[in-house]
Amino acid sequence: MSFQLGIILLAVVTAACCTLPGVFLVLRKTAMMSEAVSHAVLPGIVLALFITGSLDSPLLIVGASLAGLLVVLSTEYLENTGLLKGDAPLGLLFPAMFGIGVIMVALEFSNVHLDEHVILVGDLNVAAFIQLEIGGVALGPRYLYVLLGVLALNIAFVTIFYKELKITTFDTGLAHSLGFRPRLVNYLFMMVVSITITASFYVAGSILTIALMIAPAAAALLLTKRLFSMILVAVAIAVASAVGGFYTAYALDAATSGAMAVFYGLVFVCAFLFAPSNGVIGKRLRIRSQRRRLEREEVLTIEPLEREPLEREAVRS
Amino acid sequence: MVVEFFAQLGDHTVRIVAIGATVIGFVAGSLGCFAYLRRQSLLGDVVSHASLSGITLAFILASLFADTVAKSMIVLIPGAIVIGSIAMLFAGAVVRRTKIKMDTALAVTLALFFGGGITLMRVIQTGPFTDRQGLDSYIFGQAAAITIADVYAILALGAIALVLLAVFWKEFKLYTFDEGFAKSKGFSARVLEPLLLSTIVIAVVIGLKAVGIVLMIAFVIAPPSAARQWTHRLEGMVLLAGGVGAISGLLGTLTSGMLGDVPTGPVIVLFLTFFAVMSLFVAPKRGIVFRTVRMRRKRRQLIAQAQLQGETT
Repeated sequence: MSFQLGIILLAVVTAACCTLPGVFLVLRKTAMMSEAVSHAVLPGIVLALFITGSLDSPLLIVGASLAGLLVVLSTEYLENTGLLKGDAPLGLLFPAMFGIGVIMVALEFSNVHLDEHVILVGDLNVAAFIQLEIGGVALGPRYLYVLLGVLALNIAFVTIFYKELKITTFDTGLAHSLGFRPRLVNYLFMMVVSITITASFYVAGSILTIALMIAPAAAALLLTKRLFSMILVAVAIAVASAVGGFYTAYALDAATSGAMAVFYGLVFVCAFLFAPSNGVIGKRLRIRSQRRRLEREEVLTIEPLEREPLEREAVRS
Repeated sequence: MVVEFFAQLGDHTVRIVAIGATVIGFVAGSLGCFAYLRRQSLLGDVVSHASLSGITLAFILASLFADTVAKSMIVLIPGAIVIGSIAMLFAGAVVRRTKIKMDTALAVTLALFFGGGITLMRVIQTGPFTDRQGLDSYIFGQAAAITIADVYAILALGAIALVLLAVFWKEFKLYTFDEGFAKSKGFSARVLEPLLLSTIVIAVVIGLKAVGIVLMIAFVIAPPSAARQWTHRLEGMVLLAGGVGAISGLLGTLTSGMLGDVPTGPVIVLFLTFFAVMSLFVAPKRGIVFRTVRMRRKRRQLIAQAQLQGETT
């Protein structure tokens, strides 16, 4: 497998991997949880690295995602106390955990070298460098298989718990009364989110991980109306942008993760502007064509006496 | 031990860093109260991340004209303020114009602008910029790199933000607690909203060099979270939050000085978080400990009462 193909596959799999839980994060209005968890896993990663000594052991991923889960649980606890306002419960603890991680890295707690810049920025090219070889045949980046495993986990999770995820996302009260257990579903879901972020962290860094999780899902939210189609559209956007973003970064000789994050952001901006029924310009165009049609029809009947109310109707629809 | 701890302040470098960190803590903590009360604390996180685009952009632009001043805070901070504000406006526009909620808008904005900053940082690192050393310290912060000029810049900007706060105190207070009422009384949201947001932006950007982009959010969230537990009044809360921020800045600087290799920013953040968590537990009346004790006592009283009634009937 060629080196470049390996990188692109890595990017595509990571994108698909992150987008699946990302769709539900967006719908559950907890998108910033991705920011919190992606910072909070740092001490977990350093500690697990210290114990296992390798970056692609499954133990490391599970261990580090427990650190992410800690933020989820403590946020929930703080919210339930009612002592803090707004999004403060989410923002209170992850900087401290990230700080502990930075201190651990600074003290070279783990013998394995971990550059603090890789933490934020990640490096696809480095991750793709370690190849898996079986019987002398290069089978692509070793980390690709870790991510394929996580992707399989995410697909399985979303498929098996589709009904549960859907009902707890859209109507927690109803889910409760029907005997589903929204909190249990939430813990399972956040565990999956945590595992995904940890796995993606090494490849993409925290910033591209957030972009992969949230931007395609947010764009898909503007383009679709049904959950199932939203998932499909989000994954399609994520995968296409992974290829597009990588080649753009490659062509411009830019920092891969940073440029890809920008690319994902711009894809969202496009949806924000041009989505047919929800985009800013899309909406304006639709209103204009509606107005034209109305005017044409009005000519056939009577001269419009009041134009204002008609326009307002059009905006509301 | 204690004497040694504070004797560090005799050292010129330590003193500069300590003054810087204390002022940053006070300004960010007190202004953070408004973000906290408006339930938009994480806005500060987005501003701090987005400001990397502003810092790198300002550096590149300034390098075109005068290479020697390009790295000074006087040049970089305005860049951070402009781009940080643009990012905030973008997130606001997304929420206002689509069905997308604030959290998603913030996450996307953060990815877009911080990704842009990272990309520009790479451009600077590989490009023909002679004076680029230390610019990347903005990401994780490097308190030791704070110079006397930086302290003046921090003091000046902090003073501007605090004076704005003092002048528009009544307006900010009213607007924060009851936006609708403020509007009906004739206060212009068009003026107040950007003013209030700009004070938050200033609070965030002055700390970037010392604390770093990632950890700056702790300065905005933790002190108000701590202060809120002890008081019901805005005046007290703002002062107390400023105090918590300032003390954490001072203690953090000195602790990291004592420990040697440990970076200052994270240590300050640990102090901030400690004060916030401690306040949640031990604050009178509201605190978790107090509440648990009161609940137990009530329960015991109720049980005793029920038993009493059971005996009499």
